[in-house]
Amino acid sequence: MEFDFSRNYFEIFEMAPAYEIDQSSLMSSYQQLQTEYHPDRFVNSVEQDKRLAMQITSHINEAYKTLYGDQTRARYLLQLAGVVFDADKDTTQDMDFLVTQMTLREAIDQVDNCCDPLAELDDLSATALEQKKQLIETFKGYYSSQQFDQAKEAVLKMQFFNRLHNQIASKQEALEDEMI
Amino acid sequence: MALLQISEPGMSTAPHQRKLAVGIDLGTTNSLVATVRSGVAETLADEQGRVIVPSVVHYADDQAPLVGYEAIPYKAIDSANTISSIKRVLGRSLADITDDSAYQFESGKDSVPRIKTKTGALSAVEISADILRHLKMRGEQTLGDELSGVVITVPAYFDDAQRQATKDAARLAGLNVFRLLNEPTAAAIAYGLDQAEEGVIAVFDLGGGTFDISILRLRQGVFEVLATGGDSALGGDDFDTAISRWALEQLPEQVRNDKDIYRHICLQARQAKEQLSQQRAVDLNISEQLSLPLTVDTFEQLIEPLIQKTLIACRRALRDANISKSEIAQVVMVGGSTRVPRVREAVSELFQRQPYTDIDPDRVVAIGAAIQADILAGNKPGDEMLLLDVIPLSLGIETMGGLVEKIITRNTTIPVARAQEFTTYKDGQTAMRVHVLQGERELVADCRSLATFDLTGIPPLVAGAARIKVTFQVDADGLLQVNAEEINTGVSANIEVKPSYGLSDAEIEAMLQASMENAKQDMLLRSLREQQVEADRVIEALDSALAKDGEQLLTKDELLIINQARDALFSVRQSTNQPEQIQDAIKYLEQVSEEYVARRMNQSVRSMVQGRKIEELQD
Repeated sequence: MEFDFSRNYFEIFEMAPAYEIDQSSLMSSYQQLQTEYHPDRFVNSVEQDKRLAMQITSHINEAYKTLYGDQTRARYLLQLAGVVFDADKDTTQDMDFLVTQMTLREAIDQVDNCCDPLAELDDLSATALEQKKQLIETFKGYYSSQQFDQAKEAVLKMQFFNRLHNQIASKQEALEDEMI
Repeated sequence: MALLQISEPGMSTAPHQRKLAVGIDLGTTNSLVATVRSGVAETLADEQGRVIVPSVVHYADDQAPLVGYEAIPYKAIDSANTISSIKRVLGRSLADITDDSAYQFESGKDSVPRIKTKTGALSAVEISADILRHLKMRGEQTLGDELSGVVITVPAYFDDAQRQATKDAARLAGLNVFRLLNEPTAAAIAYGLDQAEEGVIAVFDLGGGTFDISILRLRQGVFEVLATGGDSALGGDDFDTAISRWALEQLPEQVRNDKDIYRHICLQARQAKEQLSQQRAVDLNISEQLSLPLTVDTFEQLIEPLIQKTLIACRRALRDANISKSEIAQVVMVGGSTRVPRVREAVSELFQRQPYTDIDPDRVVAIGAAIQADILAGNKPGDEMLLLDVIPLSLGIETMGGLVEKIITRNTTIPVARAQEFTTYKDGQTAMRVHVLQGERELVADCRSLATFDLTGIPPLVAGAARIKVTFQVDADGLLQVNAEEINTGVSANIEVKPSYGLSDAEIEAMLQASMENAKQDMLLRSLREQQVEADRVIEALDSALAKDGEQLLTKDELLIINQARDALFSVRQSTNQPEQIQDAIKYLEQVSEEYVARRMNQSVRSMVQGRKIEELQD
């Protein structure tokens, strides 16, 4: 069993490093690799091979998840270009953006007062998605012109939308739990 | 019909070694074993043609436990020693067991819940192993040889502790587990291979004691679990309980606390539920004087809250999978409780399509497991089918303030390895306690504690300077291994997560040892029996030969020696329990009769030749 761990995620799936990717070819390439290396292929093999298969497929899963998500893919592209991310220090200074985010979050917290909270959450979710799409366009522009600092700013802002998405989901779950 | 295989000239003609593998559905209420024969997956039946093994075990003094239908009569006459629905307790701690169970639990020095029986205090792992042994025996008897491996199904929502306990039970039963397989995935395999559909599938599995919803994507022969959800303590038994509670409320107060009456109502409730799938109303016969009418409408009202719970879990799984209802191509129904018409109706309303019910919902999981076992055993080289499973619940560790930091979120495809860095809280801190948790909530108190271990030898630095990397590795069965390492010094500690209320490795070893000693004992007995049979055969053959021509072919002394050896063998055969002693006596007898045997051969050749012409013999 051979696998080159030193390749980057795009190389693993034999794709050119770019933001726009063909999701369906990523998926088939992923499934092809899984078919080759998944631990289920090695149930009758020696312990060492089983272990190796587990490590290889763990790596492939991580690579796939990274390239599959739009924000994680954007971030990974910048990392390949040498941009460093530091979770503790990185944040955006764009006050207008932060105020918009705060407003959205407050709206999520206050959906309980609406007559149909679940429908309200769906609307908020759609608004957030629209704003995120604009950010992606911004990222693509800066990335293609190699303005990596601005591109990084866009990626950091996209992260806010991931949190927003999670907040909406847990609010939905909480509302559903109350309905039981 | 299968084609006969013919190898190329010069190639080895060694027959293809087919490995015997079975799929086991270890259910809360019923268990089944299935295998693939001549390309067809089938559930294995007993002599009476019954494929279901009720997951019931009866323990008696100094006797092997009774499993299945044979154990059921004891439910009424010896309930304390007759265990059913043990799967609900498997991998759980005493604190987890909330339902007012009929069994007496014993809490020993550890926190493993043990049920008091006549055979002693037994853990859920041991009781489950008895059911698995029974299924193993059925598999081996039907297939005629030892099993090379098995696939055992578990509810997709089973957490790490419950999966580990299932594997421990299998180990104890002497089974080689190829893979634990999620029940809904097994059902999809059964349907997927039969009908070769591509697309997103929802599997709705409502069994006796568990509920699972799984969203799977089938594409190019690969099953990918996109999301799972459910409730490991919700099932058809709860429908029965809802009926029983309702019935009890209708009764006069003075009989409500009568345990016998309650038991009787419970039995009636189950029947009533089944009958209401066909008819509009039934009568619950509480006693000779008293009967309660129950209509479908009332029944459906009683179970509506339970059905709503299942629908909410379905919506949640859809959201986790990032799939809309309209993208679901098929809905598969699994588990006996999906026979309830209201359940089918509610599911088809939610997904806006008729669910699949072609394969017997009781057998579909075992059939899928058998297909997977056949592939994993290597019996279908070139088969590209593959399962990509996800982890059902998030995994994380405790941080300051009793909070949980998630390291791997639920519905991440496995195997997966993920690392996160942590640091020290106090100046000069040299040790760190790693508390591993599973669950979706933010507070430690609301999650399930899986394990705790210490990383010691951290260099004393100011708070926040040490860099501790905690790595979670989850394997294809969904089992977790955790490693903690201080990056500057390389000091590390790791643990294979064994829940504190499971059985320890040492305990399992001890039990395996005991069962192996039993096996040794069994082998000794079998080989003794074989040597006794061989001795009888030798003595009988010798006696009949001696009667024919002994005196004619042997001198008096020769005859005496042979007779002495014969009598010695006879007495050893009667008295010893050592197979080797009999074997030695047989050898000695054969040795002293060698010459006699040779003479008899010569004589018989002579008698054959007598009266024939040389030419005839030369042919």
